[in-house]
Amino acid sequence: MKWILLAIILSAQAWAQTEKLQEEKELEVVDFTSIKKVLQQDGLDEAAKKKETEVKILKRVQGKVEAQRYLYPTEPELYGFVSEYWLVKNAQLLSWDFQKPDYGLEGNFGATMEGLGFYQKRYKILLVNTPSLVRTALPGNGEVILLLSVPFIRSLDLSKLEISLLLLEDFVRLEQGYFKKAVATEKLSKLAGASFQGAKPDVGLVEELLRNYSRQITERGYSFQQQFEVTKKMDAYLKSNPELWNAYYRLLVKIDRFVKSNAQYKDYVKLYPSPEMQLKWLGPDEKVH
Amino acid sequence: MSMLWLLLLPAVAFAETVATDEKVVGVFYYAPMFGHVHQHAVRTSPSLTTIQCSHPVKVVESSKVSAVPEWAYVQVADHRGFVLREFLMDKRPECFQGKYPKFFDAFNLDLSDLYYWGRLGDQYIQGETRVK
Repeated sequence: MKWILLAIILSAQAWAQTEKLQEEKELEVVDFTSIKKVLQQDGLDEAAKKKETEVKILKRVQGKVEAQRYLYPTEPELYGFVSEYWLVKNAQLLSWDFQKPDYGLEGNFGATMEGLGFYQKRYKILLVNTPSLVRTALPGNGEVILLLSVPFIRSLDLSKLEISLLLLEDFVRLEQGYFKKAVATEKLSKLAGASFQGAKPDVGLVEELLRNYSRQITERGYSFQQQFEVTKKMDAYLKSNPELWNAYYRLLVKIDRFVKSNAQYKDYVKLYPSPEMQLKWLGPDEKVH
Repeated sequence: MSMLWLLLLPAVAFAETVATDEKVVGVFYYAPMFGHVHQHAVRTSPSLTTIQCSHPVKVVESSKVSAVPEWAYVQVADHRGFVLREFLMDKRPECFQGKYPKFFDAFNLDLSDLYYWGRLGDQYIQGETRVK
């Protein structure tokens, strides 16, 4: 009897070893290695890899978009933003929000520029209703913002062409890079286009630029050397067109006489030295003294 | 009674065309950083509301409103007024405040800043010299 029982137990164990448990079978189903071939045959393996790559790309794009939200604008974008912010902050002082006289500048300035070979140049002209700011040019984002005083235009009774030449001189001065050189800060070159992720943006960057804008436009102005170079550039541009050159010369004569006799514009020569010298420089082979 | 309705029907239809003699030409997007919907088609005209870049603007055509071609008659929320056509785009523009939202928000522009920034776009004489 004992032997019979032992035989039954041994045979049951042997059967259990050959037949797999239900859990084991289930595990086999979950184990992809066992169905790898089937997946490969159905192309599901490839689809899964494709999906994985797509998710990786999407996550990378999402990460980039998120990182972009924490970037400082690039230098040209910053200049464009700060120039307009400066105009907004000084709106009452500059008094540019008024019904403007139509000087026909829309077509005339562009035509003068094109006539001299300035192509694909974007510009914005803003007439101001104050004698305290006569003229200036500000850098925009891929464009130039030109400011000109209506009381100054009226006082000198400037023609359309004379206004265009005045604006052109400011355009040339800005293109020479003097304005940017005068207002640029260390922060600007360090932070423009950089990331501030994980911190607050440094608004001091813009505040500092705004202060430098005001100083440059109302106090500092341009040096004799810079004015000399601008005048010589204008001379070279206009020489091929005697009508324009003569108009520019007459304009400088007008401004020279006007600022010398009008106390309201006594600061003009400090900022733009000086119409009298400019007239001399337009003479043959004049050098800055 | 049914004959009476037949007689009245054209009159009702006519009344409807008169009342709805305007249509939405399309939805456009405002391009400058800030701007105004003006009461009249004049750059210095009072502002009905301030809008910012990428704001959707419904351009409306109405026989009751006539404006010079450079101005569009628009509806923004409950306001109807005028916007310079050159400021409208048929696709969403890339806006500074959208591209750099965290930087832009740091300035906390007040109402006066928004107002003047909107006026600025209207006050510019803008141009571009042509390609050679």
